[in-house]
Amino acid sequence: MTEYYGSKLEDIFNTMEERFRPEGAEGVDAVFCYDITGEGGGKWQVTVRGGELKVEKTEGDLEGCSVTITTDPKTFIGVTLGKIDGGEAFSSGKIKVDGDIGLLTNVLPKLFTKYTPPAKDVTAKDIIDTVVERFRPDKAEGVNIIIGYDITGEGGGKWSIIVKDGTCTVKEGLESDCTVTMQMDDKVFVGLNLGLIDGTAAFTSGKVKIEGDMGAAALSAGLFERYRVGVVEGAEELVSLKCVPSIDQRFATGPVMGKWFDGLKEKKFYATKCPKCGRTQIPPREICAVCRVRCRDFVELGPKGTVTLIDDVYYASPDPLTGEVRETPYAGVYIVLDGASEEEAFAHEIKKEDIARIKPGMRVRPVWAEKRIGSYKDLLYFEIDE
Amino acid sequence: MAKKKNRNVAIIGIGQTEYSSHKEHQNQAEMVNEAVRRALDDARITMDDVDCVMHGNMELFEMVYQPDLWHEIGSGAYGKEEIRITTGGTTGASLVCAADNLVASGMYDVILAIGLEKLQEGHTTGGITNMADPLWFRHLQTGALTGTTAQEMIEEFGEERAKRAAMKYRIMMDKHACLNPRAHRRFGLDYDQMDDLMNTSPKLVGELRLIHMCSQSDGACVLIFASEEKAKKLCKHHPPVWIRDHITVHREETLTNLFGFKKPEMTHRYAARKLFERNRIKDPVKYFDVFEMYDPSAWWGLDWLREFLLLEGDEHLKMLENDEFDMDGKLPVNPSGGVTATNPIGATAMLRPAEAALQIRGDAGEHQVKREVRHALASGFGGTFWTVLIMLEKDLNW
Repeated sequence: MTEYYGSKLEDIFNTMEERFRPEGAEGVDAVFCYDITGEGGGKWQVTVRGGELKVEKTEGDLEGCSVTITTDPKTFIGVTLGKIDGGEAFSSGKIKVDGDIGLLTNVLPKLFTKYTPPAKDVTAKDIIDTVVERFRPDKAEGVNIIIGYDITGEGGGKWSIIVKDGTCTVKEGLESDCTVTMQMDDKVFVGLNLGLIDGTAAFTSGKVKIEGDMGAAALSAGLFERYRVGVVEGAEELVSLKCVPSIDQRFATGPVMGKWFDGLKEKKFYATKCPKCGRTQIPPREICAVCRVRCRDFVELGPKGTVTLIDDVYYASPDPLTGEVRETPYAGVYIVLDGASEEEAFAHEIKKEDIARIKPGMRVRPVWAEKRIGSYKDLLYFEIDE
Repeated sequence: MAKKKNRNVAIIGIGQTEYSSHKEHQNQAEMVNEAVRRALDDARITMDDVDCVMHGNMELFEMVYQPDLWHEIGSGAYGKEEIRITTGGTTGASLVCAADNLVASGMYDVILAIGLEKLQEGHTTGGITNMADPLWFRHLQTGALTGTTAQEMIEEFGEERAKRAAMKYRIMMDKHACLNPRAHRRFGLDYDQMDDLMNTSPKLVGELRLIHMCSQSDGACVLIFASEEKAKKLCKHHPPVWIRDHITVHREETLTNLFGFKKPEMTHRYAARKLFERNRIKDPVKYFDVFEMYDPSAWWGLDWLREFLLLEGDEHLKMLENDEFDMDGKLPVNPSGGVTATNPIGATAMLRPAEAALQIRGDAGEHQVKREVRHALASGFGGTFWTVLIMLEKDLNW
């Protein structure tokens, strides 16, 4: 297997099970297919269904794929490790995606914790050896516990970490009076300490067994600095902060747009008509910007109209108002409603089932919501009028 | 109608950061400072020589309101007069127009203007969606993506020719970007990939594919402006670049009346027509030596060349097909690689005159066009098809 950036394809696929987050897989039913071509390549099929994960390497054809990713080993490993910009690799055609791209952008990141290259030389003992220097006395005030580790497997062993009066000592073997004892495989222990494995998931799936005071186990994590591989002395701190703002807003419509929303309740499109040039404006606007005069007269347009242009949207950009991602494809249409002046199109969506057939010049009619309250959602979409 | 300037104005300093998708090694104020220092070094002046600082980006993208407050520690504005301008995609070009006006008026002798964006720190599509009126259009807006131009060009020129032309334009831009060490995306595309990319690049909207679309970049650009008297005094190491004229054209705050059965004149053509008329330029293709155009996608870039250069029918396609927009063509377009390569939005429209000015100075390095550049054109784009056009000159002789 060819290695890039210190990792092999196998490393990434074989750790998927450990990195799997069942809580991110809720409601997901998808098959991710990876066709990694070129030297050191291979085909993998990753199935997520009913909160379960199945990773298979296959020699034959990839079948039943919800989405297929085609790329070369170097790009795949580089993107996974963040050495290559995924968006750019995708834009330039180094990664090709067939099928539901939303699964990659929106679902995949939630399914797994981030892959980091195997820390080949790190053993459970290495981590235990740094416990004392990683100890944070400021967090241990009044804490009096003994944490026992029973690490099985090749690099395993038994240790007791004694935290008492703001000090920390490590003894080999399990003390008889451990507050809590945690048993796990050395790979899991190393993975947890490197942040490769999610602690809660490891416990839930039985990879970590805890005996004794669960509270002490939860507390213990906060008593130590994180274990780091190859930290350079005096390196700069580069931290990024994350925040999600949410703002409640309320907008006045004014009388003209008020008339528009009232009209929607009665399944009517009200436009203003310019007293000077005669053009209609929909949704209605308070003035005609061309003639610079007020428009006080309303005319009813449509409800049917003729399509001028169609925008088939394949890229689902999240709705910034709700955070939801629309199902793709969907299609925006520009429609000149009956009675409208010819330069004035109305923009809305076409019915999903009509996307494949809709063409400029076709006649369409509106489909209304059953309950209309004077909102954008009163008008569901347009459909082909036949 | 614009009146004759009170006094002449020149660009005397240019500073840019490198552009990339992430700038995690520095915060916004540090990024601003990097470009400010480079511009001051380029002009060989200090902040003591600067009367006023101008600042512009799109608040909605990073969701930091009045970011000039935070950035002040990097912008050098402390103790100076400071003016903030934010006009969406045109921000950078609006800064140039305003600085030109303010110096020409006699209000200030030297202005330092900063355009910046750190798109990685916010949500571009969210910002764009929130620009639309909240009563109705916000619900329809899906960012700046539309396939309408592709559809119209396919209708007008045939599918094969239109698609090939858009892809040729895109690959040409990438080739130019590869010559510009500061450009964000440098893919190394080649013309033999045209057919492959036309069909395999993922579709965004209609025939607008991922490869056609502009990047989301982080970076800052700074320009220093001076009055004629000051410019002649301060510019010892490189020539000043003169701002001859500029025009800004807006249209109604709705896009749907672009897509009826009858199309209104685009702001691009209107701006070009007015600007060239009042400067007595009959043939812009012949007159200008370089055009730095704000091209948010390959389809738009190609379509707008017809409008900006006052061409008719398929003249713009023919010029492209005959390599006349290449670095050594009849009118080189975007030697910098343009917006499909680099797009830190608040800086993007300033990059156009900045790169055009570098071309006039002969300081563009590897992406310097081979001929002598005396007359340059630069454009900005934003909002609901707003257009800014700026004319730069090597000599004060018009």
